[in-house]
Amino acid sequence: MIRFITLYLLLLKATLTSFSGLAGLPVLRDDLVIHHHMLTDRELNQAVAIGRITPGPKGSYVMSVGYYAGGVAGGFAAWLALVTPAILIIPMLSFAGRYTKDPRVKRTLRAVVLASAGISLSATLPLGADALHSPLSWALAAISLGLLVFTKLDTTLVVLGSSLISLAAFAAGLG
Amino acid sequence: MPSIRRLCAIFFRVSNFTFGGGNPTTAALQRELVEKEKWLSEQDFALCYALARVTPGTNLFAFCTAAACRMLDWRAALIVLTVASAPACFITWAVTAGFDQVSANVWVAAGIAGALASSAGVLVASFWLLVRPALTPGNRLRATVIVGISIVLSMLANLSPIPVLLISGVAGWFWKEREA
Repeated sequence: MIRFITLYLLLLKATLTSFSGLAGLPVLRDDLVIHHHMLTDRELNQAVAIGRITPGPKGSYVMSVGYYAGGVAGGFAAWLALVTPAILIIPMLSFAGRYTKDPRVKRTLRAVVLASAGISLSATLPLGADALHSPLSWALAAISLGLLVFTKLDTTLVVLGSSLISLAAFAAGLG
Repeated sequence: MPSIRRLCAIFFRVSNFTFGGGNPTTAALQRELVEKEKWLSEQDFALCYALARVTPGTNLFAFCTAAACRMLDWRAALIVLTVASAPACFITWAVTAGFDQVSANVWVAAGIAGALASSAGVLVASFWLLVRPALTPGNRLRATVIVGISIVLSMLANLSPIPVLLISGVAGWFWKEREA
């Protein structure tokens, strides 16, 4: 139980000090690899790799970290550490929601959304370099882009379809 | 108003089965909640999205919580948070448990390669879907400058997201928009 609570608090520290993707990685390495020896560098690298190939947010690599550090209970501690900070938004929303009629607040929020879009686009480049390595992958990316911008097709179906085409190409010896 | 069941169905499907991280998932949720179902106004989406970006932890989970809270109440928010996070976390846990077998399987690798290639397209589409509503007549320059500066600051100056968001927030506060 003490190990579970310790692991939860260490993972929570990492998630609370991170505001995007892998930003909590240095904190996790410092706590779990260097100080508490609950994890190895190899396991941490594998956790990051797993976070890239699984659905959901990139931050879900913390689940792998929890599993490597504490088995099934560690995985549960990691899930708790991932969702706990999200609860903070409820009081924040209640406070900020009172001011949304103010034109200055409205345009500030719109500016933050625009900046977030820009930040997201910047993050696309490393992902693109990693994922787009053949004519087929470029075609799948372009078709997905077109379908999402010009149709109302569900994103999950687009990604699933792309995955099936990739499998079919592999089966036909084209991938 | 959506029922909690319909809300959970959407968050379950989109949050747990979209590849590429939080941004394409948020864009997919915007398509569902704002454009298709119209349960969340453009303004409420902007509020939830902006707050989620400055909430510590996983932005996507904060966004799901805020959106559900705005559409229904805090109880719905906690249910949606669980529905939106637990299955994807379980998948990650299961993949971790069998990582050596999974990573060596060429069929799995081929399927994931297709999903990741599609996610690159999804990311660009999510950028466009977020920016498009701001490109109204008279406001295109404002939107372009804010997006451009945020790209420059995050890519070339390697600034972390929070200062970039703060700078853009300050710019947004002072730089007035023209009525459409």
